[in-house]
Amino acid sequence: MIDPITFRTWFFRVLLVILVALITFVYMLPISTLPASLPGPDLPLLLVYAWVMRRPEYVPAVLVAALFFLIGILMQDPPGLRPALILIGLEYLRARARATSDRSFAMEWGMVVAVMAAVLLAERVILAVFLVEQVSFGKSVLRLLISGAAYPVVVAVSVYLFRVRRPLPGEADALRSGL
Amino acid sequence: MARDRARSEEFTRPVRRILVGIVLVFLFLVFLVWRIDSPRVERFRAQIVDKVMPNFDWALVPVTKLVGMVENFQSYNRIYEQNQELRRELRQMKAWKEAALQLEQENAKLLDLNNVRLDARLSYVTGVVLADSGSPFRQSVILNIGARDGILDGWAATDGLGLVGRIAGVGERTSRVILLTDSNSRLPVTIQPSGQIALLSGDNSILPILDFIESPDKVRAGDRVVSSGDGDVFPPGLLVGHVVIGPDRRFRVRLAADYERLEFLRVLRSHPSERIVDPGGLIVPENRPNPLPAQEAISTATGESAPVEHDE
Repeated sequence: MIDPITFRTWFFRVLLVILVALITFVYMLPISTLPASLPGPDLPLLLVYAWVMRRPEYVPAVLVAALFFLIGILMQDPPGLRPALILIGLEYLRARARATSDRSFAMEWGMVVAVMAAVLLAERVILAVFLVEQVSFGKSVLRLLISGAAYPVVVAVSVYLFRVRRPLPGEADALRSGL
Repeated sequence: MARDRARSEEFTRPVRRILVGIVLVFLFLVFLVWRIDSPRVERFRAQIVDKVMPNFDWALVPVTKLVGMVENFQSYNRIYEQNQELRRELRQMKAWKEAALQLEQENAKLLDLNNVRLDARLSYVTGVVLADSGSPFRQSVILNIGARDGILDGWAATDGLGLVGRIAGVGERTSRVILLTDSNSRLPVTIQPSGQIALLSGDNSILPILDFIESPDKVRAGDRVVSSGDGDVFPPGLLVGHVVIGPDRRFRVRLAADYERLEFLRVLRSHPSERIVDPGGLIVPENRPNPLPAQEAISTATGESAPVEHDE
């Protein structure tokens, strides 16, 4: 007999993998091979950051690193760098989410966007140091802004469709385990 | 119970910190290795794509077709006008076809009269586009043909009309085509009819830029752009597109290939052209017993210093 809490946790971890795989699949469909004039939001990253603010145990670090490493491989990014920075951002957010759980949404939104901006900036600086050719700064910032604007939507879908909510004060203690 | 959990957390927290640290070090190491020995990691990447993509084969193609059908259905509204338009175009095309046939015959006759020997015709392998890059900043597609079909890195891919890109990354069953619109794509081209040589460089927009034109005043909008074959990147003479002047007053190329939706791509098997490297090889016939004395005789006769000849 599996402990219901463990079951829930693993259910959501599997759900995360399925969602990220689905999003990547849709992104990779060759529906239009023209260069996009407006880059779409970085949905896998938004999803992971939205969940870590609510249920840190649903997004284990190793799983997130593996997922983004694979995405980077498939999408022709320099391998390893982006997943590493995303992981640092994730751990930062995880620590903050644990420290204070009652906080306004505006603050959470600002913090997630700030972390994503930091990830982008660090990535560009490191790539510049290693003399790797990269996309124009304007387009990356545009993508960051679009991703930031999409964050509330991702949170709404997570909360109302998938029921990923902050644990109630009574539950909180019981749910803290896990990597 | 609660205290139990809290205590177990005290034990697990350092463990997971170490774990995260190890993962981070591993990821940065992969990046470093990629930076140092890029071809090896890119081969690894091609292998992973090769493992992952064919598994989605069954889903990717039907879903893409379905979306295409929905889009086509939307255009049924104006089917009548389209039909009329197509008829008009067909009439024009028939006239052109007639002209082309006559020219082809004339050309063949002239070539025959002149005894011109053309290159062996290019043969090609056709593949289905499985997926695109997925990232808004990279322009590439993945084909369902790979090393087992004899695909090699660097071959040209066309859509039948114009050049689309080049193969970069070959797996066993898949290969990646970097499109001309990708910001890493550089292609030496010739602008006809002026014969100017330029470099076509992608910049993530629909219209790639023409760089390094020798004399831009000889280039007009509407000129044909074909691959020049310089640097042995591609066979020469493949149609790329037509010159246009972009909104930023730079020369750009409207690509002849239909980038709107790439479904099937032809990968041209290019056989490396024979190179003439040794000037002596042209003069001195092969299988000659001992060509050295003759060369020596020539060099001493012309008064050149002999050791230069012996250096080789």
